[in-house]
Amino acid sequence: MYLLALIIALKTSATHQRGLESFRLRWITESPLAPPITLLVPAYNEEKSIRVAIRNLLELNYPEIEVIVINDGSKDQTLHELQDEFKLRPTRMVYVQEIASAEIRGLYRSDADPRLLVIDKESAGSKADAVNAGLNAATSPYVCIVDSDSMLERDALLRIMVPVLADPKRVVGVGGIIRILNGSEIRGGQVKRVRLPRKSIEIIQVVEYLRAFLIGREAWAQGNMMLIISGAFGLFRTDLVRAVGGYRAKAIGEDFDLVARLHRYLLEKGEEYRIKFVPDPVCWTEAPSDLKSLGRQRARWHKGLLDALLPNSDMLFRSPYGRVGAVALPYLWIYELFAPIIELGGMVTIVVAAVMGDLNHEFFVQFMIFGYAFATVISIGAVLQEELTYKRYSDWQDVARLVTYCFLEHFPYRQLHMVWRLQGLWQYMRGDMAWKSPARKGLSATTTAP
Amino acid sequence: MASGSEILHRLEPSAFVYKAIIVAIAADVLLLAFILLRRNYRKYYFRKRDARVFELRQQWDALISGEIPYETWRSKSFDRRIIEDMALDAFEAAAADESARLLRFLRTSGLIEKRIFEARKLKGWRRRSALVALGRTRAPEGIPALSEGLRDRDPEARNAALRGLGRLGSPEAAEEILHWLAESGLNMPILPLQSALINCSRERPQILLPYLQLAGPELREVLARVLGEVAGPSLGAELIGMVDDELPELRAAAARAMSNAQPGHAVEALGELSRDDVWFVRLRSVVAMGKLCNSEGIPHLINALRDSNRLVRMRAAEGLVDFKSEIVSIFTQVVKTGDRYGLHAFIAALENANLLKTLDAELRQPVSSETEGERNELLAVLHTGTLLKPKLATASQPVETAAR
Repeated sequence: MYLLALIIALKTSATHQRGLESFRLRWITESPLAPPITLLVPAYNEEKSIRVAIRNLLELNYPEIEVIVINDGSKDQTLHELQDEFKLRPTRMVYVQEIASAEIRGLYRSDADPRLLVIDKESAGSKADAVNAGLNAATSPYVCIVDSDSMLERDALLRIMVPVLADPKRVVGVGGIIRILNGSEIRGGQVKRVRLPRKSIEIIQVVEYLRAFLIGREAWAQGNMMLIISGAFGLFRTDLVRAVGGYRAKAIGEDFDLVARLHRYLLEKGEEYRIKFVPDPVCWTEAPSDLKSLGRQRARWHKGLLDALLPNSDMLFRSPYGRVGAVALPYLWIYELFAPIIELGGMVTIVVAAVMGDLNHEFFVQFMIFGYAFATVISIGAVLQEELTYKRYSDWQDVARLVTYCFLEHFPYRQLHMVWRLQGLWQYMRGDMAWKSPARKGLSATTTAP
Repeated sequence: MASGSEILHRLEPSAFVYKAIIVAIAADVLLLAFILLRRNYRKYYFRKRDARVFELRQQWDALISGEIPYETWRSKSFDRRIIEDMALDAFEAAAADESARLLRFLRTSGLIEKRIFEARKLKGWRRRSALVALGRTRAPEGIPALSEGLRDRDPEARNAALRGLGRLGSPEAAEEILHWLAESGLNMPILPLQSALINCSRERPQILLPYLQLAGPELREVLARVLGEVAGPSLGAELIGMVDDELPELRAAAARAMSNAQPGHAVEALGELSRDDVWFVRLRSVVAMGKLCNSEGIPHLINALRDSNRLVRMRAAEGLVDFKSEIVSIFTQVVKTGDRYGLHAFIAALENANLLKTLDAELRQPVSSETEGERNELLAVLHTGTLLKPKLATASQPVETAAR
């Protein structure tokens, strides 16, 4: 499956790159017909990074944008920081609550930049609820959901709009690539020099992200079966997001849940549509840099996966849902959701077989070597994909370290990952839906390359 | 001594696993080797290129003027590519005098001719690259080759040709694009097509009209949007005629065009469109009416404040606040509609235009036509954003669906 995905991804990237050779992004900025975009930025306790993040968004290169920051009941100085930096004043604009969300405390327009609107609301304990509040105020035909602790490259909106502009009638959603910021040099809200992080745990995440985005998403999107557009950076048609009722407020994996519901809605209506992935509009995000935070994040992701798969289980193997119901969802159930259980089952079986003397040692060793070598092919394939196309890591040492970690990630990181995912499942079964945010340094902190 | 394959054969069932291991390890090694070699090659290539660019940059004036004979570098493809890139980059950023000098150089050195030849005779990425370069030169002699490129089977080549023609910005290029569209239909991404046509038909928008009348619905929509952008006063009558078109996109485009062309009866036509069944037609007409800034449009804009679509309400409010001299009278009429959504939209637009204080001050002046009691009520409405007195708000329900 992964090998097939790698081949598809390499081919798709090559086509995309070829397409860009005769394309100038300036053509979009020069066109009077480029549709406006509303950026929705939910923020919860982001006092450290909110100024830089919003300034960064307002400086994006796109003809017409509107930035809506939703202060989701932050307990810190997030709203104050925004007021201070962007000269906010209360506004009595029309706010119709088409999609339900927690109570709105106030609406603020920026005197420094009229494109900025801040919604101050009570917290409902979920990012989904905050985005829904923003959706009610959005005025553009497209909304782009961006995490406030992430950083978009200047031309990210131009690039994410390329598939929309190529096929505006059918393309309803586009995902961009998320890359890990740790270790890179940031100045003035922009990544000045891309470097690999220092810590092993962070480098392994870089390999994981490359594999997930440059191989996984690229391949799934080719078959119009992409079910996850990252919540940190995704673009959707506003009318459709409203039509499906916005995000499910209680969803844990709200990004996955929304895309699944969009597929459901459009397939049930028999619409011809595309949900695309573009690998070059880059969103930089800070990855957890300690095991505890990473464990929490991965447990939460797995909870989110189960939470989004369960309500959509009626789509499995049913004809109206086509390839999504026949291939993509079963894949996620078996190879993603049940993967840690299967892995654990495998390990237990091996131990029991060894104890009972039923283990064929020679075959076991052979199988382990093959598994190791094959899994490494996929990871190195992702690095190759990066090298052939986007080449963000220009330093020799970085590439060498990246390749090294393609070999090292299998022990003991994979096993830890399995444990975290099992924890996520266990938490979901127990009804523990609490969102524990990982410790972050904030975008304003300049990370110096090693 | 047994060969590797013989050993594998002897292993029988486990041979398959060994083979798989060997293949996987070989794949790892090959991938790594490829990364290594590619990095080294690119490093070598770019170092060589940078050095050559530096050398050529130092002789730039001699190269452009022909002091260094063109034959010395034209036959070397490495040098020719660099010089062409440098010339085209400079051309795109140059002022009129300099761009004329560069175009002369591109012609006399044979670079344009070479690209025309390549665009006609080559295939695949070579043709695409020639079409892109030809488009960047903006030389009219490239039009036939670019036009042939529009008929290429490769969509990327067609894209490159279309953009190239778009960069020329001439009616001749527009004619070529329109001929091709009439011939092959709409088989291109819409945005580059529209952008190219906007660039090329700005000078003579009339060339769009025959195609607009005869094309299929999808193409008509595209052409209408282009017309909406480029329409000038000479197109007044045609635009009024489009107001009754069956396609909503066309009616919307007519509205957009009217704000540029400003034909007689524009306000009446836009007023009619502001009551259209389709929301985006109403939106476009309201935006256009705001741009016209004609006081005859005020009743239509006030009516649009009560529209069922919030974007229409918002744009109508934005249009209304531009009539600064009549702001008190407009505010009074807005309050009289009794529509709180409309009122909110209007107050938000006043806030965004920093006109709240101005209106407040004008309402306090006794010169305005309202009685003191009415002025106080209006001030209260302005400050609270709430319709306080039913006396002012002559009952009227929000418009749910505007009738055409």
